[in-house]
Amino acid sequence: MRVRLTNGVIAIGAVLAVLLFTGPPAPGQSGKKEGPAPRAADGKVDLTGVWIVSGSPNLPSDPAYRPEALKLYNERKASGGKGDPEKACLPNGVVRIEALPYKIVQTPKLVVLLSEGNTHSYRRFFLDGRPHNLEIEPNSWNGNSIGHWEGDTLVVDTVGFNDATWLDSTGKPHSEELHVIERYRRPDLGHLAIEYTLEDPQAFSKPYTFSRTLTLVTGRDLHEYFCAMDSFAGK
Amino acid sequence: MRMRYLSVMPAAVAALSLLALSWTPVSAQEKGKNGEKTPYPGAVRPTKAPPPGPPGPVPHMQDGKPDFSGIWNAQRQLPGDPEPEMLPWAAALTKQRTENYSADDPEARCVPGGVPRATPYHVQMVQTPALLLFLFEGNIHTFRQVFLDRKEHLKITEPLWYGDSIGHWEGDTLVVDTIGFNDKFWFDMAGHPHTTQLEVIERYRRRDFGNLDVEVTIKDPGAYTKPWVQHRVATLETDWDVLEYVCNENNQDPGRLVGDKH
Repeated sequence: MRVRLTNGVIAIGAVLAVLLFTGPPAPGQSGKKEGPAPRAADGKVDLTGVWIVSGSPNLPSDPAYRPEALKLYNERKASGGKGDPEKACLPNGVVRIEALPYKIVQTPKLVVLLSEGNTHSYRRFFLDGRPHNLEIEPNSWNGNSIGHWEGDTLVVDTVGFNDATWLDSTGKPHSEELHVIERYRRPDLGHLAIEYTLEDPQAFSKPYTFSRTLTLVTGRDLHEYFCAMDSFAGK
Repeated sequence: MRMRYLSVMPAAVAALSLLALSWTPVSAQEKGKNGEKTPYPGAVRPTKAPPPGPPGPVPHMQDGKPDFSGIWNAQRQLPGDPEPEMLPWAAALTKQRTENYSADDPEARCVPGGVPRATPYHVQMVQTPALLLFLFEGNIHTFRQVFLDRKEHLKITEPLWYGDSIGHWEGDTLVVDTIGFNDKFWFDMAGHPHTTQLEVIERYRRRDFGNLDVEVTIKDPGAYTKPWVQHRVATLETDWDVLEYVCNENNQDPGRLVGDKH
């Protein structure tokens, strides 16, 4: 998928270190995929696990773009995806995901979403009641995420984005006004359902909603994967 | 390629000032206090312990174990540890790297620093009964997992930057054993190398609310004549967060790329 070039200042090298193992399965990954959703010690549904998207990771349709955003989207499509931040080892942001596993680690006050692919990085959902704080980082790749439980649904509210990420691999743009609400449910052991509501008054004429289903990955944890810009990667 | 965003500026300023602090001795050490030239100009040795973290009792998990969760100023080495005893090739390579002002340091190229490299960036530790997670601000904005519910190492077929880490409790000390490393990363700016035979044993003990003692034992018969022990401390940060440092966007460590030959 990624080719490492050893020369040239604009070469994009990728480090792909794959952990292949035949060891014991990761915790909670006995191979079972059917049954009720597990619960954490505090009684909440436990979203902890390794998950991979079912079907295409791209958005199922186009948001209702305003003319300027539509123009940018069309330019990106016409150029064959030129300028894709993901190809420059830059973060995918929140809405765009990879067809590679993610891992959720849930604690009562903090939920962490780890990503195997892209930048092999993480998102943090703060559940400790803090408001959004954009003082230090008003515009970031992953924004600022706070969450709360509504029954068995974890609602994650994210603002404070930059406008550099694409909403999916086709180049769907957004502005810094993007506001993402994710609703995470684990209807049973083997499935994670996420409903997205995207508001972006600068780029969209109305909010855009869609949903994704992820399935539980058993028998393996996240592999180590690093994407690095330059020829040094393989040294 | 290296776009600057307003959002990363405070991080850049903070990181650069930390780097400036850690870099000062590099040039300063070329000539020591008595004017003698040190053999390894990049081999910065701490002369005193960092200021202590906030006092208070150690928080505990529901299962009674000490809870390491929190945002920590990265581990800083304490003074007084002896120099490692290296095999000749490792000593020669370290000397070459440090005299070259660590120009080839992978850490400056947006690849992981590996274990047990300390960085000037904050790290958030997240602990569950089954897992200890390190969320790094930099050098790259990634994570490391220590599995607390697995007693055996995985069978590693491809060496890894962070290796395979498993941990167990010895009283209030968490002992983390890691193997399965690649040989690409350096232990420090001095350029201390290692081989794929590397095994790192880290012993974490939260001394009190604000201070985390870390004893690091480096075992690598391919590069060192005997195990190398370092003593470090991390101090709790109560008024700051782990920021989003995206190395490929805005490499905050460009100074050392001056000597880049790649």
